[in-house]
Amino acid sequence: MRKNSLIGLKVLVTSLILAVSSCAVVEKGVNMLPTGGKISEKDKRAVVKTTKALRKTFADITEEEEYYIGRTVAALILSRYPVYNHKALTSYVNYVGKAVAIYSDRPEIYAGYHFLILDSEEVNALSAPGGFVFISKGLLKRCKDEEMLASILAHEIGHVSARHGLKSIKKSRLIDAFKIIGQEVAQRYSPEKLTKLTDIFEGVLSDIAEKLIERGYDRKYEYEADKLGVKFATRTGYDPHGLADFLKIMAAEASKPGLKGWFQTHPSPQDRLARVNKEIAGLGKIPHKELVRNQRFAKAIKGLK
Amino acid sequence: MRKKGRYFWIALIILSITSFLLAETLIVKVKTTYLRKEPLFYSQTMAALQAGQTLEKISSQGSWLKVKTSSGLIGWVHASAVQQKKFTLLALNKTVKTKTSAEEVALAAKGFNKQVEDKYRARHKNLSYAWVERMLRFRLTPDQIKAFLKEGKLAEFGGGQ
Repeated sequence: MRKNSLIGLKVLVTSLILAVSSCAVVEKGVNMLPTGGKISEKDKRAVVKTTKALRKTFADITEEEEYYIGRTVAALILSRYPVYNHKALTSYVNYVGKAVAIYSDRPEIYAGYHFLILDSEEVNALSAPGGFVFISKGLLKRCKDEEMLASILAHEIGHVSARHGLKSIKKSRLIDAFKIIGQEVAQRYSPEKLTKLTDIFEGVLSDIAEKLIERGYDRKYEYEADKLGVKFATRTGYDPHGLADFLKIMAAEASKPGLKGWFQTHPSPQDRLARVNKEIAGLGKIPHKELVRNQRFAKAIKGLK
Repeated sequence: MRKKGRYFWIALIILSITSFLLAETLIVKVKTTYLRKEPLFYSQTMAALQAGQTLEKISSQGSWLKVKTSSGLIGWVHASAVQQKKFTLLALNKTVKTKTSAEEVALAAKGFNKQVEDKYRARHKNLSYAWVERMLRFRLTPDQIKAFLKEGKLAEFGGGQ
């Protein structure tokens, strides 16, 4: 009897210790944060700094920050290319893009994925951080079916999903930015801090725009986006050969002189085609093309001039 | 014997309270998402969820999380729309109630925000955001997405995986 109650008491003590220690772990965490009255104001500020200085790399950029960076990158892209303002076709491109985005690795981003057609004969597709995706009229004209369009958009969604734009930002810029952000406790920035932060913002934008519009992402990011494009398109139910088919068309054109846009910013289509084919060969079951998709593509693209 | 039973019950209560306090709390990190009836993007929505809103995780299924809102609604959110909140117990302690974790600081509209964009725009008055705003206005309802997938024999309606 006495032995039994002793066991019971031990169980109770153990659970109490467990409960108290779990609180202690959290309390330790609490003590790292500023607590009223217990530590000096100076220490408090130091702790705030330490806590906030945890942000170091592109991976620490929040969804909202990515959105604000992306908005301006999108505006910069649109300052170079006019918009092809065709309501029905833009709507169709958004349907295809949003369908693929749902089946991507990052379906939810701060303000969602949005697609727009650029009024340019140049072959090009660009994606700004935060899900602003652009496809040129020239590229659309080379798409033969919905699978091709879906695969290209899936490649662009791959860039957003893997945060390739943000990875193009110079590390030193982020460190500077996080330092300023970390020091500021007030809701709004002081004019001096705001000026400094906006200077860094300018730098961030030029880092991304340079890669995105001028030089193109690193090859490894393009290959990764192809891989993700194949994955996302297949998941959505598209035949991933859409990307291979498109690259074949591009390979045939690649020898033309004076090519700009996509040709300038992407690795050679032949090289990509070989890798994409290998990727597709590694897939199990592949969805097949459906006539209904070809029909709605043909209908949507009909008005394209 | 009765005494032993009582100890066990008390122990059980303490343990369940502890695990309840440490329950996983999630914070919405995207501007707006929806609490959905089923773990599907085109499922019927139950409520709109805003950035910063907290949810209690109940269970998970693939990339979908079954959650409970503060008003008691139970439904599904996609994992990419939320992040785990640290220091759940903080909420219990009044003195530290207003203190925030690093994650919450990051979520509190700091960093590159509207204020920074406004300043940038004041410096670059010729840069137009009109089409950016128009792009953002294009939205599809779950029913529209569902109809598009269904018609195209995509996703669950065809060969999607």
